[in-house]
Amino acid sequence: MEDKLVEFANLLRQNGIRVSLAETLDAVAASEVTGLGERELFRAGLRATMIKRASELPVFEELFEVFFSGLGEIIKGASKEVQDALSMSDKDFQQFLDDMDEMLKKHGEELSELAKNLLQNNNGQLERMMRAAARAVRMQGIQRTIEENYFARALARALGFDKIEQEIKELREQLDKLDLGPGMKAKMEEYLDRRLKMLEDIIRKYVRQEREKRDMKAREEQRMNQLGDKSFYYLSDQELEKMREAVTRLAQRLKNIIAVRRKRMKKGRFDVKRTLRANMANGGVPFHLKFERRKREKPQILIMCDVSDSVRNASRFMLQFVYSLQDLYSRVRSFVFVADVGEVTESFRTNDVKEALDVALKGDIINVYAHSDFGRSFRNFVTDHIGAVNKRTTVIILGDARNNYNLPHDWCLREIRQRARRVIWLNPESRNTWGFGDSEMERYAIHCDLVEECRNLNQLYRVIDQLVPR
Amino acid sequence: MFSSIEHVVESFGKHNYIASRRIATVIFLAAAMKKPVLVEGPAGVGKTDLAKVLAASLKEELIRLQCYEGLDEGKALYEWEYAKQLLYTQILKDKVTEVLVGTTGLKEAVDRIASEDEVFFSERFILPRPLMKAITSEEQVVLLIDEIDKADAEFEAFLLELLSDFQVTVPEIGTFKAKKVPLVILTSNNAREMSDALKRRCLHLYIDFPNREQELAIIRLKVPEAAEKLAEEVVNVVQSLRKLDLKKTPGISETLDWVKALTLLNVQSLDNALVDETLDTIVKYEGDVRKAQEELKEYLRKARTRRTGTEATGSSDDKDLLN
Repeated sequence: MEDKLVEFANLLRQNGIRVSLAETLDAVAASEVTGLGERELFRAGLRATMIKRASELPVFEELFEVFFSGLGEIIKGASKEVQDALSMSDKDFQQFLDDMDEMLKKHGEELSELAKNLLQNNNGQLERMMRAAARAVRMQGIQRTIEENYFARALARALGFDKIEQEIKELREQLDKLDLGPGMKAKMEEYLDRRLKMLEDIIRKYVRQEREKRDMKAREEQRMNQLGDKSFYYLSDQELEKMREAVTRLAQRLKNIIAVRRKRMKKGRFDVKRTLRANMANGGVPFHLKFERRKREKPQILIMCDVSDSVRNASRFMLQFVYSLQDLYSRVRSFVFVADVGEVTESFRTNDVKEALDVALKGDIINVYAHSDFGRSFRNFVTDHIGAVNKRTTVIILGDARNNYNLPHDWCLREIRQRARRVIWLNPESRNTWGFGDSEMERYAIHCDLVEECRNLNQLYRVIDQLVPR
Repeated sequence: MFSSIEHVVESFGKHNYIASRRIATVIFLAAAMKKPVLVEGPAGVGKTDLAKVLAASLKEELIRLQCYEGLDEGKALYEWEYAKQLLYTQILKDKVTEVLVGTTGLKEAVDRIASEDEVFFSERFILPRPLMKAITSEEQVVLLIDEIDKADAEFEAFLLELLSDFQVTVPEIGTFKAKKVPLVILTSNNAREMSDALKRRCLHLYIDFPNREQELAIIRLKVPEAAEKLAEEVVNVVQSLRKLDLKKTPGISETLDWVKALTLLNVQSLDNALVDETLDTIVKYEGDVRKAQEELKEYLRKARTRRTGTEATGSSDDKDLLN
């Protein structure tokens, strides 16, 4: 049993679940307590000891199903099929097997172990042999569909399939010599044929199952990784949904990291007044030392997002990201623009992120179907909202700087930069297209402290990580 | 201790807690393997209650440690009673002088005092906090470490010694080993992810919202005076509310509060006005209330059309018969 649990732990690891050695040992201990008799109990024991994240539960359930019933289930099913094909009741079948057994004893002492197990319906033994053979041919390495045939052949060879074919042939010849009733003889022959066929089936199914087991999570993981690198331009609806989850998760991770960073700098200088007061009870002997709390420096953030069609997705995730982290900043103000600029801070404050995003991107505040005009947007911002920018504000502009050959009004950006702490421009276009065609990126870049490419989630994460206070 | 899983289910049932087999198995394993249990799940599904009921059904004392940000060893484990130490030194000043009689020179005096210093750092001057209490207790106890996710990461690391070896170390005295290994339940709302080291030492139990039947059974058990029809309606509503994207999804405790409130108001069946008035017992945010109201209106409308619908067809049948 330990071997099997170790193998199961390995399988879980291959599927991206972290199971430590100590946890595997716990699982062994748990299986001793629960016993193997009751399946659900056994499963609960493994679940409690090996799985420590709720998000990993579905994967565990699926793998448990495949792993702990997999081969046994296949063999049992195939065996039942044989019985059904011969259309015998359980009792008849047992009788038939007993007859067979007797006959084998008389004539077939030289039969191999595999043949005996196969013909006598020893499913458990058969399963054990198959597993041993699978280990011998290193089936745990199987990954691709095209490898299935190779492994099926290798497994058959390791099991001694050629030999058993030969044996069954000989058995049939012997049947001819025996004086059995005509009905019985036909039945025996059919039985032998079917059993051989069954073995073939089992091998094939087993290999396929092993491959599926290993394949499943790998694909899922690959997809998630790809999502991080996937450009915001090309996202299907489904991926948008996934992406939203990914952003939430990333934001949470960032928060955790920041909590640790914060802790390190929490303690400030020695605080005499508070120390004296706290130690009054001890007659003024300073047992408990008190320190000043350092003031957290929370930056103010002002985001300006281009929400025209071309960069809408990037803006969406940028806004979601910043708002998931809004308690890290003392103040977040957000503006959206296309050909005009409008503030959406309020709707983010009162609604949850998802609704607020819809409001911001739907076009109630500004016309989102206009042609992008960065110059006009900036000029309107400077005339209407310049008060929002002060020495503590970090201004983040997200846009592709494709100005449709309108006036760039880059002096507005200079104006903003003079008042702000810093100006960061994130461009969801790849760097080598900047400055070509109607892109005004180079003109604007002069007035920014930092210009970054921000085409996918991983890049976005890196940028946001720089923005959070340390 | 528990003899089987059925035993767990049964004795929890006696204390008004409906434990699924899944929960019962983990509790049974924890008791048999002497391992702590980390219980996770959304707020209000009975994580804390689990520990309370466990203590009650084993007739053991429950020692509870509520975690919060900034919780440190001094509050969780032990603290020296400085004031008492100081007081004792003041009172025993004469004795100290006596001890020092006959010493020549500072060095000798310090040596003399040093040979007696364990008097001041003994268990006498230790103020035990929950963790220490659980370890030094003569009887087995249930130790509930509630909302561990609210504590800092350092505190979590500090718990590791306790959870794996059931011992704590006081530098001045030595190591205290548990006389009777306590049953430890840790609960977490997943405000942050626990470290792998902590998870490794625990059995893991995830409690989710109950399904319809379970929730109904819980209401019948906890609020037996509620009208059957009301209970069913409330469960239907709450179950459908959980499918919405709310800031705070209503838990079992909210369901129970609502049923209790409605029962106090002597309500037999839900209607629009009542729902509006009592909705704030299950939904706790302004935005959520709005969403929930819409959903509820829809639900009530459907329920009504279903009712009137059947009546209408009933009457038309009558008409047919009359004709």
